[in-house]
Amino acid sequence: MSGHDSKYFSTTKKGEIPELKEELNSQYKDKRKDAVKKVIAAMTVGKDVSSLFTDVVNCMQTENLELKKLVYLYLINYAKSQPDLAILAVNTFVKDSQDPNPLIRALAVRTMGCIRVDKITEYLCDPLQRCLKDDDPYVRKTAAICVAKLFDINAELVEDRGFLDSLKDLISDNNPMVVANAVAALAEIQENSSRPIFEITGHTLSKLLTALNECTEWGQVFILDALSKYKAADAREAENIVERVTPRLQHANCAVVLSAVKMILQQMELITSTDVVRNLCKKMAPPLVTLLSAEPEIQYVALRNINLIVQRRPTILAHEIKVFFCKYNDPIYVKMEKLEIMIKLASDRNIDQVLLEFKEYATEVDVDFVRKAVRAIGRCAIKLERAAERCISVLLELIKIKVNYVVQEAIIVIKDIFRRYPNTYESIIATLCESLDTLDEPEAKASMIWIIGEYAERIDNADELLESFLESFPEEPAQVQLQLLTATVKLFLKKPTEGPQQMIQVVLNNATVETDNPDLRDRAYIYWRLLSTDPEAAKDVVLAEKPVITDDSNQLDPSLLDELLANIATLSSVYHKPPEAFVTRVKTTAQRIEEDDYPNGSEQGYSDATSQVADGAASPPTSSSSSPYTATRQSAPPAAAPAPAPQVPDLLGDLMGLDNSGAIVPADQPAAPSSPPLPVLLPASTGQGLQISAQLTRQDGQIFYSLLFENNSQIPLDGFMIQFNKNTFGLAAAGPLQVPQLQPGTSAMSLLPMVLFQNISAGPPSSLMQIAVKNNQQPVWYFNDKMAVNVLFTEDGRMERGSFLETWRSLPDSNEILKEFPGIVVSNPEATLDRLAASNMFFIAKRKHVNQDVFYFSAKIPQGVPILIELTTVIGNPGVKCAIKTPNPDMAPLFFEAVETLLKA
Amino acid sequence: MISQFFVMSQRGDNIVFRDYRGDVQKGSAEIFFRKVKFWKEDGQEEAPPVFNADGVNYFHVKVVGLLFVATTRVNVSPSLVLELLQRIARVIKDYLGVLNEDSLRKNFVLVYELLDEVIDFGYVQSTSTEVLKSYVFNEPIVIDAARLQPLGPASIFMQGTKRMPGTAVTKSVVANEPGGRKREEIFVDIIEKISVTFSSSGYILTSEIDGTIQMKSYLTGNPEIRIALNEDLGIGKGGRSIYDYRSSTGSGAVVLDDCNFHESVRLDSFDTDRTLSLIPPDGEFPVMNYRMTQEFKPPFRINTLIEEAGPLKAEVIIKVSAEFSSSITANTIVVEMPLPKYTTSNIIKFLFTVSNILYKIVGGSEHTLRAKLTFSQETHGNITKESGPVNMTFTIPMYNASRLQVKYLQIAKKSSTYNPYRWVRYVTQANSYVARI
Repeated sequence: MSGHDSKYFSTTKKGEIPELKEELNSQYKDKRKDAVKKVIAAMTVGKDVSSLFTDVVNCMQTENLELKKLVYLYLINYAKSQPDLAILAVNTFVKDSQDPNPLIRALAVRTMGCIRVDKITEYLCDPLQRCLKDDDPYVRKTAAICVAKLFDINAELVEDRGFLDSLKDLISDNNPMVVANAVAALAEIQENSSRPIFEITGHTLSKLLTALNECTEWGQVFILDALSKYKAADAREAENIVERVTPRLQHANCAVVLSAVKMILQQMELITSTDVVRNLCKKMAPPLVTLLSAEPEIQYVALRNINLIVQRRPTILAHEIKVFFCKYNDPIYVKMEKLEIMIKLASDRNIDQVLLEFKEYATEVDVDFVRKAVRAIGRCAIKLERAAERCISVLLELIKIKVNYVVQEAIIVIKDIFRRYPNTYESIIATLCESLDTLDEPEAKASMIWIIGEYAERIDNADELLESFLESFPEEPAQVQLQLLTATVKLFLKKPTEGPQQMIQVVLNNATVETDNPDLRDRAYIYWRLLSTDPEAAKDVVLAEKPVITDDSNQLDPSLLDELLANIATLSSVYHKPPEAFVTRVKTTAQRIEEDDYPNGSEQGYSDATSQVADGAASPPTSSSSSPYTATRQSAPPAAAPAPAPQVPDLLGDLMGLDNSGAIVPADQPAAPSSPPLPVLLPASTGQGLQISAQLTRQDGQIFYSLLFENNSQIPLDGFMIQFNKNTFGLAAAGPLQVPQLQPGTSAMSLLPMVLFQNISAGPPSSLMQIAVKNNQQPVWYFNDKMAVNVLFTEDGRMERGSFLETWRSLPDSNEILKEFPGIVVSNPEATLDRLAASNMFFIAKRKHVNQDVFYFSAKIPQGVPILIELTTVIGNPGVKCAIKTPNPDMAPLFFEAVETLLKA
Repeated sequence: MISQFFVMSQRGDNIVFRDYRGDVQKGSAEIFFRKVKFWKEDGQEEAPPVFNADGVNYFHVKVVGLLFVATTRVNVSPSLVLELLQRIARVIKDYLGVLNEDSLRKNFVLVYELLDEVIDFGYVQSTSTEVLKSYVFNEPIVIDAARLQPLGPASIFMQGTKRMPGTAVTKSVVANEPGGRKREEIFVDIIEKISVTFSSSGYILTSEIDGTIQMKSYLTGNPEIRIALNEDLGIGKGGRSIYDYRSSTGSGAVVLDDCNFHESVRLDSFDTDRTLSLIPPDGEFPVMNYRMTQEFKPPFRINTLIEEAGPLKAEVIIKVSAEFSSSITANTIVVEMPLPKYTTSNIIKFLFTVSNILYKIVGGSEHTLRAKLTFSQETHGNITKESGPVNMTFTIPMYNASRLQVKYLQIAKKSSTYNPYRWVRYVTQANSYVARI
């Protein structure tokens, strides 16, 4: 080959496609190869060259591997959009899969597995079966991965044709590369299957441990990760496993080291001998530290993992704190993580050294880092009682340098130190007061005001100090206003003289009449009433002793920490979130639909052939492309759409129907005839013609946000995106919103999968959900929705009678909350019970009480919070009394709403 | 497993893009670039190497100004992905000789062919240039290396020193030399990055060496190689912590805290005579990585003095003394010291940085840098507290701080006339070389 590949990118303007077509059909090999390269070049920059399909496929029958690979690359890209033509390639594929050259055999199955077209898949099975038993390990290892590909396309086919057994046989293959790929494929299949497929027995374990030694580094990671799910039977087996894995700690590949650490940590839980554990800790320390010599990106991952490891086993790195000292050239994300770990490892023994470092960091240039360093000093003071005094003297030294943001940060942490050690370090208040004028950040101001109020009796001029803030009261942020209010009240209670009395008038006036902040107003009224009715009681309330705060540097919840430790060396351990909180892998079939959608989008209009297919997809009845694949896909939605019954597991069919072919429907035609219309949340009048209706729904144990977009504006709208604000249950979108371009006058339905516990808002529980939707043409729209909490009720909420009674008794009476629904009539109890059960509110028992019927139900919301419900009513007469008992009584109002909605329905 | 792999330029152009699983949207590269460019989260302005946006996990590493990125939707091993990205960069460099936007674009067909062999359905298959050679058929188009920025630590051998042929490190391991037969040669580089923190009074607070023995072989027939290290080399601190470990003399045995080896290395006789044997695969790879916190003699001493001359003026005097043999010359030296930013009454901000570029320092010599400072506001006598630390970067060829040595490099002989070129080169670089004031 000669010349530069980049020349393929520059072509003459006129008639590019016909020109390529001619070259592709040239009689000269070299010319054909060059032409294919040009086609690929065009493809990689996003040009549509699908119209050359036939011509490119004609080049496929060649002995030249280089050319063959190029053609295959083309096929992978375009077969989807040309399923009918793709069949042209099948013969060559099948022939290639029996070629004497193992590279060609492997290439054929590898490529066929990447083409997600049913016709190709049909022909894949036989070659795959042969290749799994091929003599050449390169072919076998390619075939192993291909089984995973096939499972992704058609899981049934894999099971029916016995590929799983062939795959399991490959675990005993004599080539370690084949073993590693078989393990990887099985692990993936297992993850996407509900029944046990790949269970590690003692026998597989020993086979895999042996393969481990001969595998490539990447194979070692696959195997270690698969084995980490293995639970050893006893301490002896655990020790045995650990012994086999320990040499991996010496590997140059960080991924191998971290996966080995994960495995050792897991087995260590079973090991009882303290000597063995101590010895293992000693062995793990140097490799963990060595990870910090890798590239900064890997250091970051290592540090996030170490952060978890030291929370469980602080001894491993207790003596290594020096390696976490920040280096001059560390990227900021590494420095921040190192600080966290330094705080975690700080002890009475090393605190002097650590403080020296923090002090140094606190005078560096990067403001964010400096702030974090100052905060770190404060956290050490709170964590180590004996070192608190030294920490405070370092903070005072820093304050004296008078760098504005250092002073403010220091005051914030000193407030926390006061709360941790009340009545110990107040002597420094005078020094703090010197910096009063320089404070301009709300948090620092609020902290300082809190300190003045809390210690008003010891600060001679407390009234003057507070007064200086009062002038600007209306302009202050809410945080500062609240503190000013409380501090003034404290001052007044401590020194009820004339000055404070006037001040309190001003403040109360400001905080009640002049403000529209409800929090501030409510608090002010409470103080006002307390002060005017019973000043002594006010003293008891306002000046009551506060609970001592504790160190928060180990704040991960133990059960979360357990889960994260089990996920060391995965993304989970980097985000410090359990996998289900961020893994959004949509099931494979739904994904395929998205891909099928591409021709509709970016590539549309370049060639006649493509747009024809696109047309076919949009209007089912005139299906011009007679492909049976398309036809079945079209007929699926009507069957699935009117079936909101939860027991039909055709979730994907449903998704498909709403998301794709059913997506673009005229506005006057209801999208899902059987379900009631969705409530309008953003009326067209507000949304410049865009109307959004939406509601939370639950299907097959998953929460969805069902949305209807109607475009009544004059322009097409596209690029829809959605965002949920923090809410009580942390409901958020599990993936991007999929809405096609909306032409004027059309509408589209979308079913958005949701996840829980993403961004949980603090404060009292509320069913309010704030949503923002944007598109490329309009401003961002904000609207509110009310969560129907019954959507959260999980399928496993049914309780046995016995356990219901037990739970009811075990909860204190204060947890029982009552509410009447005067307007509701239950006339047909059976129908009501069925309806409630369909919403996962399960009937437990019924009893008669005088003329009333009493029904008991159980339900459960995620994270296992049970809700016990008692309904009392006279059948056929209006009025239902509802009592709810739950460990979280503050959520009761939400449950009442839910029950009321369900009864009304 | 990963879903996509792509390479982006710093301007945000997509240079290479390969989708392996089709479960992440095609616009991911653009989403990624926008995220990284406008990162602002947790008070940080630099995106961490791993983050999640709308359910897609993005991994990236920066290599010679290019962003190597992978995406996935599942809970994979992040260290595997990041390590893989580094390896892909290394394999491509092995093939192309030079890694940059231009060479990637010129060789896109080869790069795609490589990517297909390196990853299948998101699973890493092999990143060994040696193994890949049997499956990859495109020939690299080598671009002119002379006018390019060098890559990696070993590139310093191209600068000035006459010991090496300048093109060696940017030579493709697979392409044939323009002049016909390949030159038989092997490079062994001992590269040490040292980190030292001096206290304000000149004591060493922390010191650390991260070393690598790197090899790049152009030998045909892959003969076996033996490398012998210091015979008295010790490994592990014998249970003692760093705090109490102090080798009082500077001449005792070299003791490493920890080390690890490339998978091709056989350690049969390592315990007895500290020799490593291996059949080097093609391409550049680390034979051994090591880490040492044993005290060593720092190559430079730094003394800093700040003299205040009135409320708005001061003078900084930095003295740098080179404490190594006069036969050695350090180069690419930069000394810098951050100074406080004092905002004037308007919005102009002054960031004073003393940045003196000394091109070379010969061993045993001493240099004094002076700078006069003027402030826009009074310093309250805090200038010393708010300035610094002094940071120094340098490269010293043919010097290694740890005293770890390659005693000999033996190549299994094919014939008596077979005598390939062997290059054993040492270089020490500053990682974080800091003196507090």
